[in-house]
Amino acid sequence: MRLRNARYAAVLAAGALSLTACSAGGGGGPAADSGAKAAADTITVGTAADSVGPATPVPGAKKGGTVYDLEQEGINHLDPAQAYTQETMIVSQLFARTLTGYRIDPKTGATKLVGDLATDTGEPSDGDRTWTFHLKSGLKWQDGTAITSDQVKYGFERLYASFETEGPSYVQTWLSGTDFRKAYQGPYGGKSLPDSSIATPDSKTVVFHFLAPHSDAPYAMALPDAGPVLKSKDTRTGYDNAPFSDGPYKIQHYDSGKELVLNRNPYWDAKSDPIRQAYPDTWDLQLDISQLNLTQRLMAESGQDKDALALVAPADPSQTEVIATDPAKYKSRLVSQYQPYVEVFNLNTSRIKDVKVRQAIAYAMPIKQVQTALGGSPQGDLGTSLIGPTVAGHQASDPFGKLATPQGDPAKAKQLLAAAGVKHLTLTFAYRNEDRWQTVARTLQNAFSKAGIDLRLKAVDATSWYSQISKVDNPYDIYVTSWSADWPSASTVIPPTMDGRLLADGDPDYSHLDDSHVNSEIDRINKITDLKQQAAQWQALATDIIKNDTPVVPYLYDKYYNVYGDGLGGVTYNTPLGTINPGSVYVK
Amino acid sequence: MLRFLVRRVLAAVVILVLISAVTYVLFFALPIDPAQLSCGKSCTPQNIALIHRNLGLDKPVPVQWWDYVSGVFTGRHLPLGNCPAPCLGLSFTNDTPIWSTLMDRFPTTLSLGVGGAAIFLTVGVGLGLLSAWRQGRLTDRIASAVSLLGQSVQIYFIGPLAIFLFADRLGWLDAGHDPDWSSDPVGSLSGVILPCLVMSVIFWSNYSRQTRSLMIEQLSEEHVRTARAKGMGSAYVFFRYALRGAMGPIITIFGIDLGSILGGTVITESTFGLHGLGQLAVSAVLGTDLPMEMGVMLFGATAIVAFNILIDACYAFIDPRIRL
Amino acid sequence: MTTVTTPQPRPEPPAPRGTGDPFLSVRDLRVRFATEDGEVRAVDGLSFDLERGRTLGIVGESGSGKSVTNLAVLGLHDPRGTTVSGRVTLDGQELLGAPRKRLEKLRGAKMSMIFQDSLTALSPYYTVGRQIAEPYRKHTGASRHRARQRAVEMLGRVGIPQPQRRVDDFPHQFSGGMRQRAMIALALVCDPQLLIADEPTTALDVTVQAQILDLLKDLQRQTGTSIVFVTHDLGVVADVCDDVLVMYAGRCVETGTVRDILKTPEHPYSWGLLSSIPRLKAPVDVPLRPIPGSPPSLLDPPPGCPFHPRCAFRDEVAGDRCATERPQLLLTGARGSACHLDGDRKRAIFADRIRPALGRRPEAASPAAAGPEGPDADRTAEPEADRTVADEPAAEPEADQGEGNR
Repeated sequence: MRLRNARYAAVLAAGALSLTACSAGGGGGPAADSGAKAAADTITVGTAADSVGPATPVPGAKKGGTVYDLEQEGINHLDPAQAYTQETMIVSQLFARTLTGYRIDPKTGATKLVGDLATDTGEPSDGDRTWTFHLKSGLKWQDGTAITSDQVKYGFERLYASFETEGPSYVQTWLSGTDFRKAYQGPYGGKSLPDSSIATPDSKTVVFHFLAPHSDAPYAMALPDAGPVLKSKDTRTGYDNAPFSDGPYKIQHYDSGKELVLNRNPYWDAKSDPIRQAYPDTWDLQLDISQLNLTQRLMAESGQDKDALALVAPADPSQTEVIATDPAKYKSRLVSQYQPYVEVFNLNTSRIKDVKVRQAIAYAMPIKQVQTALGGSPQGDLGTSLIGPTVAGHQASDPFGKLATPQGDPAKAKQLLAAAGVKHLTLTFAYRNEDRWQTVARTLQNAFSKAGIDLRLKAVDATSWYSQISKVDNPYDIYVTSWSADWPSASTVIPPTMDGRLLADGDPDYSHLDDSHVNSEIDRINKITDLKQQAAQWQALATDIIKNDTPVVPYLYDKYYNVYGDGLGGVTYNTPLGTINPGSVYVK
Repeated sequence: MLRFLVRRVLAAVVILVLISAVTYVLFFALPIDPAQLSCGKSCTPQNIALIHRNLGLDKPVPVQWWDYVSGVFTGRHLPLGNCPAPCLGLSFTNDTPIWSTLMDRFPTTLSLGVGGAAIFLTVGVGLGLLSAWRQGRLTDRIASAVSLLGQSVQIYFIGPLAIFLFADRLGWLDAGHDPDWSSDPVGSLSGVILPCLVMSVIFWSNYSRQTRSLMIEQLSEEHVRTARAKGMGSAYVFFRYALRGAMGPIITIFGIDLGSILGGTVITESTFGLHGLGQLAVSAVLGTDLPMEMGVMLFGATAIVAFNILIDACYAFIDPRIRL
Repeated sequence: MTTVTTPQPRPEPPAPRGTGDPFLSVRDLRVRFATEDGEVRAVDGLSFDLERGRTLGIVGESGSGKSVTNLAVLGLHDPRGTTVSGRVTLDGQELLGAPRKRLEKLRGAKMSMIFQDSLTALSPYYTVGRQIAEPYRKHTGASRHRARQRAVEMLGRVGIPQPQRRVDDFPHQFSGGMRQRAMIALALVCDPQLLIADEPTTALDVTVQAQILDLLKDLQRQTGTSIVFVTHDLGVVADVCDDVLVMYAGRCVETGTVRDILKTPEHPYSWGLLSSIPRLKAPVDVPLRPIPGSPPSLLDPPPGCPFHPRCAFRDEVAGDRCATERPQLLLTGARGSACHLDGDRKRAIFADRIRPALGRRPEAASPAAAGPEGPDADRTAEPEADRTVADEPAAEPEADQGEGNR
């Protein structure tokens, strides 16, 4: 699960839908066409040729100027090893390069995974257990020091340090197992990772030896923590406030939770970089601004806000209708795109044991009204697949005909309940104690009563939402969560949320599904090394789970929906992260 | 005076220690684990234990509290960084020392509070004086109506409206930005005028109504009558005698309002996208950042207590009958 | 009513009397307050004159309109909700309706006022010295320094010890008596020609009261100030006043010289006032007789004589005149009362029923005919009308009054 902001997980992990406490005000019917389209097909793995810089130029773009980024959250961590929120991940791209990255075509939006520091997306061997990356030549740090393979290895060694707790742990786990800190405690004790884990046969080559096959390793190497660290500049925890740059920008001023100013790194060479155009001279990121405030500023675009955007923060739900209904004013500077988050209703399978009852609930679910209560189409499109449209292999699947009867099918629900022999069904719906979720709760209550289900509502403190509903013995039957893929592959979706073998408090298998068939399928598909085939198998399993186990009712694909200042051009979208792509932005 | 100060400061310290203890207890009474919030997908039991150790959450609550309190004076070396005295801990969210963040944010809140208070005292008390002076006449009613504005609006409503009108449409005022008094005093001033103005509006009506009734009450006081009987001019009597008498109660109300002013800055800061203590408090609570919550709470409480002591000291200047 | 100059010789002030031009003249003064319940007629057609150097006592119960009258003279009523009509002339100058600025120039300078409760009447926020100096600076244009000197001088004159030091004290640092002296100093700082003293001693204990009264008499002797002395204490009246005006329900019910009023009062209300004063020399078995009932509501005054509901002698008047017809104030010279009882009847009732009860000897029964009482007469009730007030030893009557009027 990638969180919008790890520390804010409880409030924010449900994606855009929980980012504000403001009521959506019921929404005024479907807004204008959102413009979002399924992007999974356009995310491909590029070749070595694609990995050659410079990045595809944006027509009409010019260099110079300052771009202002208005964000609702703080950045909180500049150390790329700690980056696991949308803000930290996208911002780290401005000053930290990784082995691979996503090259986004500024005209078509087509997204390719290519080598960033590496010459390509890696060469697999030993049945995808071993991955070899070659560094490009001429790569330099912000002081002119050359980037070498042992710096990359050092960067990965740092991930084992006791203070690096917030970043992803894919590579560490793949190299050293789940309890990877037992195997290695980081570079500060004077020891290095053995060559049997990471080898650096020469100054430009890095070889990873994983314990098991990992065909999606190229994707993992696009996460912010997959980059080099210069040992002499490693200030351990201090690195979090002052990382050393190898990207197009270096940190000029950082006021945690308030402002981050980045300006050009003269040693960054555009010719080596296939994914960053880096037109502006300066990025001024203004942090911790309320969602309403930043939305209104972007809409009004007065003064320097003309050159402002919000890389991550979506528009405040109270303003989306204004934006949608005034296309003349906003359409030319509106971004409406899918995010990698899928919102689902979890059905607690340890409490609702009869799958027929779960299916009845799925039929009764009024997803249209829920969407409206949450702010309508700008918040997200109705979607019924477990694997969202930004993930490879995504296919629409709708076993309960939700898209045909999005307001719910109480008759069908009653039928199923009768078949299950259930007469008086009383369920508990837990919701975040916020206005719009209250509206959702009441909406559900109404719709369920038509299906003969008595819904009891239980408000839960918003800040501790995930702590409470992720308890295995939680006393709730239905609750909303969302999940995002870390890269466009369902192997970051299905295994964590549907594998019941590691069920524990805090585990993201929020529905407590523990089905031996599902578990064995997960193991089987994980071993498939052909990514395309694997993606198709994940989708088939996902459809099967929804249809036959029904532990969740997916209902919404989140969207990024916001406007940016008219003074900016080249605003493209980073689909894997679900944010604006800062690389191609320029000041007109 | 010295005894008064010593007594009040001691009382304040006791209050602050109590606040810190209560905050600790309340925080740990909530079913939230900051470690779980920070680990995201990496929430293995090992990782959670590690985070607990890094954040100091592995120790018993009383020990944590004691470490915290003593750390204020001695400073601390924590797993995630050094925390020099006065150490209020490191933020759970971004591992920076709380104290430096507070020092960074305080000028914004202070500017808003002082500026807003200056404006609402001027406008509110001014309108109240005008009403009392022209009691029962048209001016009185107009002044009351103007002050009523404040009673019927909310910051988050007039804030955006004011930005739209004064900043976007008319371009008279800056839409608000964090002040930096040392390097850019003029820019800082223009950056806080609108927020201060907006924040002050909600206080107008209370102060004008209170001032009006206090002044009317004072004007019927016998010593005011004596002043008139001495032949002193009405303006002189009004300001030197009646206002002098009304000042004490107005300051009392102001002292009570200190908390509301701090509350007002919270909303104002978020409305104008300013980075002050209020906004810090909000994000600390949302992010279950205990050290930050604690820091803001203690800092705010200290500020309020300090201002209250100051206000009590003011009484001694205003009313010679009061001895400290 | 007219307080015609009494022919008794007075050593002070030297100003000629009987010139026919009173210093303060009040004619048909009416003060009405608009309240939520209706109009209150606080003063209802009051007239009186006061000559230079003389002291007029205004006597009556609380709420009889004494203080309201004085505030009207000074123009201190809040114009909102108060209607003042009639004429008030000071030294020939019309005060009612005069511009605010002119009144401000007169107040504190030509006319000033001593208030009853010096604790509330002095501002707690300024030093006594500043409060005294303030009007002096304003009215004389003196420098701050000179005004301060004047304040010290005044404090000294009113008998404050160490005035140089006390001038910087705040009112709350003074004792009650000292504060009242300071109040007097404040009122006299600009040598006013008219001093209105509104129960200046009521709140004080007996010895202090005596000292204050002495002080006032003394100051009057020195400066020739005219004084309006408001009190409900006939003992004080006996001590300091030349003429007396008895008020009831906003009207004058009886007036005359102090001797007239105290020795041969004609109005049943005046009798009541006298009877309610205990006397040192009276036989112990004579009970005090407070006036039964309470003053009438001025919102809705009773028809006829406003005193009739409380009057023990209304049956002596034929028919029900007291309850239906308002008695006029009938003046014979400066002497008169407003009562339906005819003159002989009044004298007879006083001589036969009131006077004995006061503890006086029945021989003194015909006051109208009688000359000044012998030296054995009760001094409180029979002050020497033509005495030099300040020359008289004050202790005895004051002690007497003190006991009777707490």
